[in-house]
Amino acid sequence: MRALAPLGLTMLVLVVLLSATDVAIGTWFPRFERFSDNFSAAYLEREVHALARESPQALFIGDSVLWGYKVRPSQSAVSLLRAGGLPARNLAFQGGSPVNLYALLRLMLSEGVHPSTVVFNVNQKEFSPADSAYRTVHPSLNALAGSLFTPGERGLLDQTGPQRSFEHALDSEMTAHWKLYALRSDLREAIFDQVDAVHAADDFVQTLSGAKARGDAAHRPTAAQFEGTYDLSPLDEQNVSLQFLLKSIRLLRHERIRSIAILTPTNHALLHDYIDAPEYRSNLARTRALLEQSGVQVIDLDRAFAPAEFLDNDHLTIAGNRHLAAVLRNVLAR
Amino acid sequence: MIEPVPGAVSVEEALADDPMYRAFGRLLARPLVLGVVLFLLVIAIIVFGPSTESRFIYTDF
Repeated sequence: MRALAPLGLTMLVLVVLLSATDVAIGTWFPRFERFSDNFSAAYLEREVHALARESPQALFIGDSVLWGYKVRPSQSAVSLLRAGGLPARNLAFQGGSPVNLYALLRLMLSEGVHPSTVVFNVNQKEFSPADSAYRTVHPSLNALAGSLFTPGERGLLDQTGPQRSFEHALDSEMTAHWKLYALRSDLREAIFDQVDAVHAADDFVQTLSGAKARGDAAHRPTAAQFEGTYDLSPLDEQNVSLQFLLKSIRLLRHERIRSIAILTPTNHALLHDYIDAPEYRSNLARTRALLEQSGVQVIDLDRAFAPAEFLDNDHLTIAGNRHLAAVLRNVLAR
Repeated sequence: MIEPVPGAVSVEEALADDPMYRAFGRLLARPLVLGVVLFLLVIAIIVFGPSTESRFIYTDF
């Protein structure tokens, strides 16, 4: 029994310090320029609640092209617009797609977010059933918006059944009651600029030894890597991405939110053998027509960028992001 | 009956000279300090722990 009193005091000190840390995190955890690579549901929830408290602004929703793949957060097109004084937030993330656009819109509207404008990109590759985000909602978004889907909508998506393991139950409880734990992936990325310390150390060593530069040079994207990325089958009502795109634009129209769709810049020089065909043009024209019929302003950037402005099939270089920001600045100023 | 081995010392006597054992003993005697140490340990595990919660679903190449 004599040992229990000191042990109790130790646990009390531990709990008090962890609670104080959680209060500090709840108050001061920063909002980032964009979502991290591996953002958590807790971070998304904080962002949505913050947006609900703020005055209406332009929200950019989309995939890694808008997110700013392989460029620093401050170098992405949306950050450049923000730096120029435009009230805007970058809500794009890697793994975005029409179903993710719809899920995020549903979540924001249900939480009382009313944007002045929604700018989203429509990427033809995401209409391919082979795309990893074709019928998959980002897990962190799904954790918050999954319950907002109708049974019919859920039926269109890849569903991971309910997890009933002890580990999952413990994880859920800790996530619900402990902010430091719930935000750990965002915290690690903010500190290390990598998913964790080990990856950061590895990246440091690789950069120092020159292995990273050699690896990047050896892995320049080739056209063959994108064989099968774009599905040129005629878009029809069975296409899951098209269904969720239509649901999204109906939702935006119903809420009377100004909507701008970017037809994603695409590297036709690289992809010539796979997409420069009447079927691709026909699908693009169909998408454009559907958007315009619903009152969405369309910016067709499919062929608007030079090959040197791409890192690969669609991701933009720093110069490409500057070009995109300039185009968007003109459109949003009107 | 086990005969005592000449020159043998008890476990307690042996550990008494071990610096790690003494440091740990001192820590156990100070619950406040132990609480802070455990707190720092938890923070370090969270911050420096490996990422096992990959939500990355995008596979471009």
